[in-house]
Amino acid sequence: MRLYKKEGDIIQLISFPDEQVEKGDYLLIEDQKVKKGLIVQVIDIQFANVPGMLEDILRDVMTEESIHGEDYDPFDVSSQITVLKDTRLIICKIRGMIDDGRISSSVSHLPSRISSKIIRFPIERAIEPQDKSRPIHFGTTKSRTELTLDAKVLDGRLNIITGKKGTGKSHLSKLLVLSLVDNKAPCVVLDVNGEYVNLSKNRSSSPETKRRIKVLMPGVNMKLTLAQVGLGTMLGVLLFALDLPGNSARVFSGIWRQLQDRNELTLTSLGAAIHSWNCHESVRDAIVSRYNTIAESGMFTDDPSEALDFEKMARELSGGEALIVNMKNQYSTMRRMTVEILLSKLTDLLMSWKMKAVFFFAEEAHLYLRETYWEDIVTRMRHIGIFTTFITNQPDTIKDSIYRQADNIFLFNFMNENDLETVSRAAKIDGESVKLIARDLPVHHCLIIGEAVKNFPLVVNIHPLNVETMGETRFFFKD
Amino acid sequence: MWIHRTESITYDSPNISSLLSKDLEGEESLLPKFLIQLSNSSMRTIKGERFKPREVSLFDLRIEDEDHQDSSLMIDERLLQKEPIKIEPIVDDASVIAVDVSNIKVGETNDGVLCALRAATVWKSEGSYVYLRCGPIVFHITDCGNHLLSHLGLKEPVLPNMFSSVTMRIMNRLRNTLERYTQRLVCSSSKNNIILFDGSLTAGTPDNPANRVQSILESARENGSVVLAFSKATKLSIGGRRVTHLLDQMPAPCLLDIDKEIEEQFPSSPVKLLGRVYIAKLALAGYTFRLDIDRHVPIEGAIETVSRLSGCDLVEQGYPETLRLAHILSTFTANEVIGIQRFIAKNYGLRIASQPNLRRSLFGPFGTGREIA
Repeated sequence: MRLYKKEGDIIQLISFPDEQVEKGDYLLIEDQKVKKGLIVQVIDIQFANVPGMLEDILRDVMTEESIHGEDYDPFDVSSQITVLKDTRLIICKIRGMIDDGRISSSVSHLPSRISSKIIRFPIERAIEPQDKSRPIHFGTTKSRTELTLDAKVLDGRLNIITGKKGTGKSHLSKLLVLSLVDNKAPCVVLDVNGEYVNLSKNRSSSPETKRRIKVLMPGVNMKLTLAQVGLGTMLGVLLFALDLPGNSARVFSGIWRQLQDRNELTLTSLGAAIHSWNCHESVRDAIVSRYNTIAESGMFTDDPSEALDFEKMARELSGGEALIVNMKNQYSTMRRMTVEILLSKLTDLLMSWKMKAVFFFAEEAHLYLRETYWEDIVTRMRHIGIFTTFITNQPDTIKDSIYRQADNIFLFNFMNENDLETVSRAAKIDGESVKLIARDLPVHHCLIIGEAVKNFPLVVNIHPLNVETMGETRFFFKD
Repeated sequence: MWIHRTESITYDSPNISSLLSKDLEGEESLLPKFLIQLSNSSMRTIKGERFKPREVSLFDLRIEDEDHQDSSLMIDERLLQKEPIKIEPIVDDASVIAVDVSNIKVGETNDGVLCALRAATVWKSEGSYVYLRCGPIVFHITDCGNHLLSHLGLKEPVLPNMFSSVTMRIMNRLRNTLERYTQRLVCSSSKNNIILFDGSLTAGTPDNPANRVQSILESARENGSVVLAFSKATKLSIGGRRVTHLLDQMPAPCLLDIDKEIEEQFPSSPVKLLGRVYIAKLALAGYTFRLDIDRHVPIEGAIETVSRLSGCDLVEQGYPETLRLAHILSTFTANEVIGIQRFIAKNYGLRIASQPNLRRSLFGPFGTGREIA
């Protein structure tokens, strides 16, 4: 390989076909004379614009239909000509610099075209932390070395896992959940498709793992008393999940307080009080219809022994557990109610320091997360210890502001221009790199962007999991 | 289908080369063995040296080093009154075979020049064109103990590090050697064909001995073939204009016999006009070319051959397609020149040299004193 051109932060290299380079690879352009080197990442591979190539190809095209024949080439000179036709132009993005052995992101050096040596650069060595006492084994990099990061890289971070359907997003998300649990971290997963519920089961017939995975089914083993919920959370449910108008909410608050004062806060007494409350008929109708939804959801109980003990749950989570909230087959109102209550309770537990923090995994959050929560999650909730990972195959459902504040983006393959545009606009690296690399990522290969990889975007083949993932697409026809 | 072979092949081999193999005496390789040996021995002299490759660029795609050009003559203006011969195309199963050879300078070493040669033979078989391409073979032309000189019959020394006229002559002689060899092979191994050469049938210079061309033409005649040589460039002129303009306003296809007028201008020796000279316009609105037809073929036979060529081969723009393809296949593209340079650097341990470029030093827009060549 030879250094050909530098334009801005783009470096162009000339490479012959026998030099194996792929998109995402890191190279070091080492100028030994000055003991400096540029760290560059391959973002595209093109054919070199060799002089006369067009003429050559045109000649081939023009004659191949009308003429055929033999070449007698005793010295095999033509093999070199053929090599030249496949000479490649490697487009690289400058990612950093090595100056006297130290890596920095500031680039102030232009390497020599003549004396520079171009070698593969094992970027993993620069990325992997010294302390890997809480390891997360992500997978193998392009240079076939293991990428193991410390769980600390996810601590206090906002992450986004995105890519088109079937590329391995949920797979990575499960790997992160399991690795965090293995490192005694508390995780809560909002599981829209019920694909996390068997995480404790091994894929083979081997016995179940000792991982602590707890599954909550709203209305089945996730029930609460009204007292547990509290007026604030219930108003959130009514306003944001059930769209109760403001006036009606004020009336509802009055009913709730009265029952609370009388120590009669039960589902049954709430229903009776609503019906007998002196208010406008339309307000009563609005409150009654929401009450019926709440009552029929099965999420509320008057029996304290049936109710979920959130404080116990917090203690168990804090010891290293994944709480899977299975929202499969739930209608959207129910999902919204569940999330509203869960987030509210988690906030309470964290505010009162009953939990230190929680890693919160939200699959397709646009299906259940209310508008105002998005900003809340990346600002306020982050400060109280909810560290969210959004998982979606529709990147445009996540606001640009969320992308911009994301610490890490785990990007899988996208072919759609709009999707690529959305991610590239907001990712922490240049849009060109995102578009060119993500378009060609194979299944289960992920481009990690952000703090986790010290801002050296890295392509990783994510490790397979030996657990029942249940996330695979169901097929009608067999192979 | 294109086949690429690097091993030595002979005319005994089947397929395409079989057309050329009929009645060939003994086994003969497609490239003269002595040229291959000469190539090997000349290239061995450059081990480990530095070389300055020829520069090729997208803006300089025409990189042919030479073209056949005849000597400059002024012809009598009586020609202006001469009537052209009308040609009636004859469509039959005549085979048309064309031969062309190209050479190119690919770089310079401290001691001399590196050049490459390639020959192409094209013929029409069952309605489609078939080719046999031989080469490239590369040579290092130097003055030191120059075995090339003795092989090629040159006595003048070659000046080192210079693309001199002598170097040019050696290159041309190497090219002529390969061209005549290929032409002889075609003429001696094929029967009853129309054989097209690039250039003229004028011979008799040290670089182009008359006896060699004579023997090629004899061989063709013995096999019932007729040789036609087309010159793309001619210096023959009348009243200051190229003779090829004489047929500008004439209907095509037609010939203008200018043999007598040319012959009068030539001394009887050493240069010999082995072909009868015509101006040929084979296509309406096409170009006109100098056409030499073997002098020993009767005039009627020569005209009939042009008629058959006109009927059996495409002559768009007035130039036979078979010969056009032979030219395209033998010439080197810029990309091929770079490939040959890489071959030389890789196989003979040459290192690319940074040499001062006088022209660029003096006239370059930014006054760059050195360049990477």
